[in-house]
Amino acid sequence: MSEHNCGCSKNPYLPEVATVLEVITESPTIKSFRVRFDNEEAWNSFTYQPGQVGQLSVFGVGESTFVINTPPSCKDYIQFSVMRAGEVTSAIHKLQPGDKVGVRAPLGNYFPYEQWKGKNIVFVGGGIGMAPIRTIMLHVMEHAPEYGKLSLLYGARSPEDMAYKADLPGWLESDVLHTTLTIDREAPNWPHRVGMIPNVLKELAPSPDNTIAVLCGPPIMIKFTLAAFRELGFKDENIITTLERRMKCGIGICGRCNLGGKYVCLDGPVFSQAQLNELPPEM
Amino acid sequence: MSSLLFATPKELTGWLAKLASGYRVLAPRQEGPSVVYRPQTAEQLASADIDALLRRATASPKQAMLPQCETLVTFKSVKDAEDPSKLTTTLENPCQAEPTVLFGCRPCDARGFVVLDRPYLEGKFKDPYYGARREATVIVTQACPSAFASCFCNWVGSHPSDKEGSDILFTAVEGGFVLEVVTDKGQALVEGAGFADAADKVADVEAAHAAAAASLAPAPELTHVMEKVASRFTDTEFWEKETVKCLSCGACTYLCPTCQCFTITDEGSQLDGRRLRSWDSCMTPLFTLETSGHNPRPSKADRMRNRVSHKFSFYPERYDGFFSCVGCGRCVVSCPVSLDIRHMVKAAVEGSSLTFDDAAPAESPAVEAVPAPEAPAVAEPAPEAVAEPEQAAAPKAQKPAPKAAPRASSKSKAKKR
Amino acid sequence: MSVLAGKELRIVGFLCNWCSYGGADTAGTARAVQPTDLRIIRVPCSGRVNPLFVLKALINGADGVLVSGCHPRDCHYSAGNYYARRRLELLKEFLPVIGINPDRFEYTWVSASEGQRWKDVVTNFTNRIHALGPAPRWEDVPARYDRPEELIESIRPLGCGAHPALPELKQAIKDALAAGLEGVLGWKQGFDAIHAEPVFMTTPEEVDSLIWGPFNVHNLAVYLPQYKGRKIGVVVKGCDSKGVVELLAENLISREDVKIFGMGCNGTVNVSRILAKLPEGATIESCVGRGNKIVVTAAGQDYEMSMAEIAQDKCRLCTKPNAVLSDVFVGTPTIEPAAPADGRLPALRFLDSLSLEERMGYWKGQMERCIACHACRGACPMCVCRDYCVSDTRDPAWVTQEDTVQQKLFFQLIHAQHLAGRCTGCAECERACPMDIPVFALKQQFGRMIQKIFSYGAGLDVNATPPLLTYQVEEPTIKEHDLA
Repeated sequence: MSEHNCGCSKNPYLPEVATVLEVITESPTIKSFRVRFDNEEAWNSFTYQPGQVGQLSVFGVGESTFVINTPPSCKDYIQFSVMRAGEVTSAIHKLQPGDKVGVRAPLGNYFPYEQWKGKNIVFVGGGIGMAPIRTIMLHVMEHAPEYGKLSLLYGARSPEDMAYKADLPGWLESDVLHTTLTIDREAPNWPHRVGMIPNVLKELAPSPDNTIAVLCGPPIMIKFTLAAFRELGFKDENIITTLERRMKCGIGICGRCNLGGKYVCLDGPVFSQAQLNELPPEM
Repeated sequence: MSSLLFATPKELTGWLAKLASGYRVLAPRQEGPSVVYRPQTAEQLASADIDALLRRATASPKQAMLPQCETLVTFKSVKDAEDPSKLTTTLENPCQAEPTVLFGCRPCDARGFVVLDRPYLEGKFKDPYYGARREATVIVTQACPSAFASCFCNWVGSHPSDKEGSDILFTAVEGGFVLEVVTDKGQALVEGAGFADAADKVADVEAAHAAAAASLAPAPELTHVMEKVASRFTDTEFWEKETVKCLSCGACTYLCPTCQCFTITDEGSQLDGRRLRSWDSCMTPLFTLETSGHNPRPSKADRMRNRVSHKFSFYPERYDGFFSCVGCGRCVVSCPVSLDIRHMVKAAVEGSSLTFDDAAPAESPAVEAVPAPEAPAVAEPAPEAVAEPEQAAAPKAQKPAPKAAPRASSKSKAKKR
Repeated sequence: MSVLAGKELRIVGFLCNWCSYGGADTAGTARAVQPTDLRIIRVPCSGRVNPLFVLKALINGADGVLVSGCHPRDCHYSAGNYYARRRLELLKEFLPVIGINPDRFEYTWVSASEGQRWKDVVTNFTNRIHALGPAPRWEDVPARYDRPEELIESIRPLGCGAHPALPELKQAIKDALAAGLEGVLGWKQGFDAIHAEPVFMTTPEEVDSLIWGPFNVHNLAVYLPQYKGRKIGVVVKGCDSKGVVELLAENLISREDVKIFGMGCNGTVNVSRILAKLPEGATIESCVGRGNKIVVTAAGQDYEMSMAEIAQDKCRLCTKPNAVLSDVFVGTPTIEPAAPADGRLPALRFLDSLSLEERMGYWKGQMERCIACHACRGACPMCVCRDYCVSDTRDPAWVTQEDTVQQKLFFQLIHAQHLAGRCTGCAECERACPMDIPVFALKQQFGRMIQKIFSYGAGLDVNATPPLLTYQVEEPTIKEHDLA
């Protein structure tokens, strides 16, 4: 039955079968899954850009969209970080190393990092919103000499909710990245900042000159952080964010992730605030 | 007109019956008060009552290319002999398209496929399932003998004998039908059918087309539809008022020849399961509901705004000014509460506060100009809303609409916020 | 594989944890020899058995379904089995309408100590199913597309002339608006003269657009729950008023929030019947109603038709043409006829005349063309779950997205089952169906069985308790189904 007469070289709905290599428990609700395609040929020819997403599926349960949060230089696996919330994410959370999943990737657009050369970049990640930040930040850090000053502000509800714990020491000690961590409320043995991201951002007060702001996180955090950036003098075209919508096809046909005439899955998920200003306000 | 052939009703059904041996022939069939496209056998077609085959279907023929439900991927897994918790999974793609003749759809229906082609076939990703069926299907369209009260193809750049999207267009004339071959695919279908030449019937065909066009109520003069509908986006009150009576049922979207939305769900298990694609509707709250509980379109007004805007503003913005509506009127007739998209579009456009300098000739009118006397209001919710036919000055031989539907030439975006 | 492979049938058993499951265990411990066809699903209580469990099993190919719980008066939860008894008895009476032999389903009581009784029950039921043989499969049943064409005679005169009290009604509504009502739901003319559409009147001008007559088909009660907490009014026909009453009875709207305006109804039309009398696509220029006839002018020609030809079926047998509950009733009430000897609408009469297998074929033929739009649900005043319908959930997965007849019919069964004892018979589900599928017959089947077993009709009394939400310790109208 594998023969078909549709004349397509690549069926965008047909996932690659991939094996879960490693499962990392990031927080009580977030796990990261490192997967690799079973088909070596497909794996070797697989490329993507930082910010692009994939449809990860548990066969028999369904697909869900996640950003690939490894930098493209990682040739051994791609990583998805998944917060347990609904039917598919619950099934994903049950996966063990060796299990088979489906992956449709890469989908969507990516961070316009080529245009950021020579500029300072402020990364701001809130909660699970750190996932897209991770991919672009690691990518930029790998090419740090081409950029200006890099800094990260990463906030989570509590120390336990902070994902990528294995990465944090490296980021805190990095020569090319200035890292600030913050949690919402006081917690014992927390040596870093305490406070909501927008407030901490205002305290840090990065200069808007020649600087790009990249922010991802829950809608409410985006809203106030955006306001903070504007207050600091950042222009909307220099504020970059990623959007989330319910998605099915991932290729701009099924009709649910549209924001006006733009499909988040196809034309996004990366948008500058200036681009979003042009789209209907349907958040 | 290119190759014209004449067929008597008997010859036409005989031809269809013959085609049924090599094609799946989808043709209208009466079931209860509804008319439904069904695959029909050679025997059924040979003995079919021609009038029954010419009825307008209750639901659009969209299902010929996009079935209500289809399998995108099947998966099967085998357990490892050593460790049964380990599975080897193989996927299969059941993408198969049967050679099909779609008979008897109307020009609006055929144009519906042209509308669907853009998102399904013209983007960065092509939909192979749709593509395969599209490729394998020959569309034999019936030029409308007359318009329904709910018809408004003339609002969206078309007319009752539009050939766009059809492989063959046939027109009922005295004693039979004149078939006009539009494409090579259509030519191959009539090859060897033994139909007589119909060059002498050109006048009859033109008269039939003109009569059909005249039976259609003139379109209102709506300009800058795309921009004006877009400008209503933040006018929540407008959409709430327009959707007071909406039941949020979604019948409109399922009947629509251009509604493209679907969902993907898995059934079965990893051991033996399948991934299905099925019709979905932007009118249901679940369509955009996110796992977190957040819903960007929580109310029926939000959803109707999206549906109307998609057809008259988002889609044209994305695809060169073409509307994603072919004016078939099924959403109007079959709406349980007679909600009328014409009324919504007209109200959105006429009440818009946007102004345009229309002096520039490049700004072609939104709607193909059927010479309309005083633009009677088709959709005005007034009694006897439909114009008298004699008012609708019959254009003699109507030219096919220059593809320009509502091409908004300048990208001078109206302010949206 | 069992040695009986191929000889076994698929029988599903729902056993309550406290009694029947224990009884089965007792039988097993005593090494009682039993047939092996039964697949047992343990449930906390027979009251947990949603009739949809049974329907889903039967629709998807089970050859038999057995429910067994604690004996009446012995329920671990005091009353679970009393509720179960009512629901399951009703279900058994319902099954024939979809072509399922009611003998394929049984419910009974077995206590934990009754090992021998359990053995007898399961043996007898299995033998019964074997005698019936494998259940007919939907795939194999020939689809039927025939439908009853006959028109039932009306039990009262139907009319379509102008209602003399309409100006009075308009005035009453204007007064109410002036007195502070936010708006009133009514009808105005739709896109042509034979279509009306609902309107939410808030201004005197909008009240002037109000119409009353044979085109006021919509049951406006459907909109009421969404205005909960707001003071509004609604114009009702008799049938619509039953929907309002049922919503009030179920506390889904409150009496002080809704002002009910009524007039005597002389019947409404089935628009499809009018259209069938006109040339296809004919543009309707006007429509005038006089006495019991309308004259439709379409494509320059007059078409006269009588209400006897075009009225909705439900109007022909209507015994409640006047609002059963109203705050303002204007004009003379329409004469209320006595209940007809045969209250069945044509679809149900037709179904009753068919064999079980033919009924399966009938539903197969009808449901094939269902486009799963669920307009039936949207138009139903009693479908109050709205955005949270169980058929939309993935877990539990009552229906899949597959477009098979079984899936589509099962959605209808969910709808009908959830309306059992609540459906007021407005038949809006069927009117709303764009594909003209006679889905109301399923609700009418439940309705007449409710009438038969519980002598109850929904939507007549705001203080009534629907029969499935209550029970009696002794049910005089339900006889024991003893399998032992």
